[in-house]
Amino acid sequence: MSRIGRIGAETTAAWYAFTRRRTAVFFTFFFPVILILIFSALVRTDPTGGGLFAEPAGYYVAGYIAVVVLFTPLSRVGSEVARHRAGNRFEKLATTPLLRSEWLLAQTLVNVVVIGLASLVILVMLVLTTDASVSLSPLVVPYVVFGVALFCGFGALLGRLADSQDGVIAASNGIAIPILFLSDTFIPPELLPGWFVPFMDLSPLTYFARGLRAVTYEPPANAVTAAGEAGLIGADPYLNLLALVVLSAGFFTVGAYALPRTD
Amino acid sequence: MVIHAKNVRRRYGETVALDGVSFSISEGEVFALIGPNGAGKTTLIRALTGTTDADGDISVFGQPPRSVSRDRLGLLPQEFAPADRLSARELIGYYAGLYDESRSPDAVLSDVGLSDSAGTFYENLSGGQKRRACVGTALVNDPDLLILDEPTTGIDPTGRRDLWELIERLADGGTTVLLTTHYMEEAQQLADRVGLLSGGELIAIGSPAELIERYGGDSRLVIETADEPTVRDALIAAGYEPRSAGRHVVVWAAAGDISAIVEALDAANVEYDGLSWRQPSLDDVYVELAEDDVTAADGILPEGRA
Repeated sequence: MSRIGRIGAETTAAWYAFTRRRTAVFFTFFFPVILILIFSALVRTDPTGGGLFAEPAGYYVAGYIAVVVLFTPLSRVGSEVARHRAGNRFEKLATTPLLRSEWLLAQTLVNVVVIGLASLVILVMLVLTTDASVSLSPLVVPYVVFGVALFCGFGALLGRLADSQDGVIAASNGIAIPILFLSDTFIPPELLPGWFVPFMDLSPLTYFARGLRAVTYEPPANAVTAAGEAGLIGADPYLNLLALVVLSAGFFTVGAYALPRTD
Repeated sequence: MVIHAKNVRRRYGETVALDGVSFSISEGEVFALIGPNGAGKTTLIRALTGTTDADGDISVFGQPPRSVSRDRLGLLPQEFAPADRLSARELIGYYAGLYDESRSPDAVLSDVGLSDSAGTFYENLSGGQKRRACVGTALVNDPDLLILDEPTTGIDPTGRRDLWELIERLADGGTTVLLTTHYMEEAQQLADRVGLLSGGELIAIGSPAELIERYGGDSRLVIETADEPTVRDALIAAGYEPRSAGRHVVVWAAAGDISAIVEALDAANVEYDGLSWRQPSLDDVYVELAEDDVTAADGILPEGRA
């Protein structure tokens, strides 16, 4: 009971801290909406080959969801760590029974709900604004949950390493943008130099994107890229999920350990 | 013994934050740490709560700081800034929720005088109310050891006195209190013993009365005048050794000397705007020891420095 009580108290406080910042709430959900409108409705896809988006709309569902799974926890948890440090809140928490892993778990739970809702908005927007056909599978849920946990841990690490909230934002953008575009999200491996393709396996987001694509996307016969051919473990949704679970456990553990006490 | 610290040392690179600090605090005692900014007060508190690593021997309730049951500690860190979009009640309730057994948030709010502002977001509270809410977060678990790092900074005089009463009530109930403060009046009012930190060293320790007697100097008469040279000359002629500071001339004198000094001034036909006589206080001890950084003499040396 006590552990659940502590996590519950922290989760409630973190939830209020997020939902009572109207700007944060607005842009958290506006971000995926504007993303879909720009890339799906304005740029559009070109299934006949060539162009920026050469694959059918459904191919990019995993990429759109990867955007919120990557950016939101990275910047939110990183900023929250920076705010806690600036206000000496970790010093206070270190003298309470709350463990650092419990604190990070609470932040992760809030992010899972927020990003789960944002992902839902993305799926609805895609269906409404494009001809994307999305296969819905229960496997989408663990992908989002463990993807969020992974980048919450990463965000905690950034919050520890950056010395201010501004530093966290700059660092998270600087790290997230290359990760996003080099993890088999929007740019298929075929468009990258051959020597670079093996390096894609080093990005944790690659397993998220490949696995989720395998779950949500059924490539047509005339697809430019047949999903599932690239990478160490291919596109098997269960193998990619396993990789994601292992990586999220690692990042979460390191992130929790990195949370500061004081100095 | 609630806190026992022996030869505690902490460095940040080349900077020595704590340099062989030794002292102890008994159960139910109120102990005040005073000293200039950068003296090491906050570092010492962090060493005692296990939130920073320090060399030396530290025990809290007979255990290393990080092994102490968190249910027994209540901490108000310096410059503590909690989540600002929680109401005062939610803030107290949040910290209460981190403990298995905790006090009712409304009872804590009542203790810190915030019952009427319970529903107000922290960010909308006044500076003094914010600090009182922060003090409340340290009281939610009814701690055996309450550590308050500058609890009354930013609080108006009325609020400060309300908090003093609260701390006195807690101490009367058996809670051990360690606080830091820049207000000498606060240390004198609340503390059973005071420790003066300067340059990372605990240079004096004792009851306020002991420290004042030892380092506070004599009682003094302060003469406010626009004609400082004439007043000064008149006092020297009468056999006193005055010191001047702007419009003020200070003479160290017992209460019984006041009439003789006034007569000397009248005889010299000098004009002055005011006379005030006061006994030495902890302010004088602070000025004498912290600002001059005088090493404590025998008698009231901290433990381990004799």
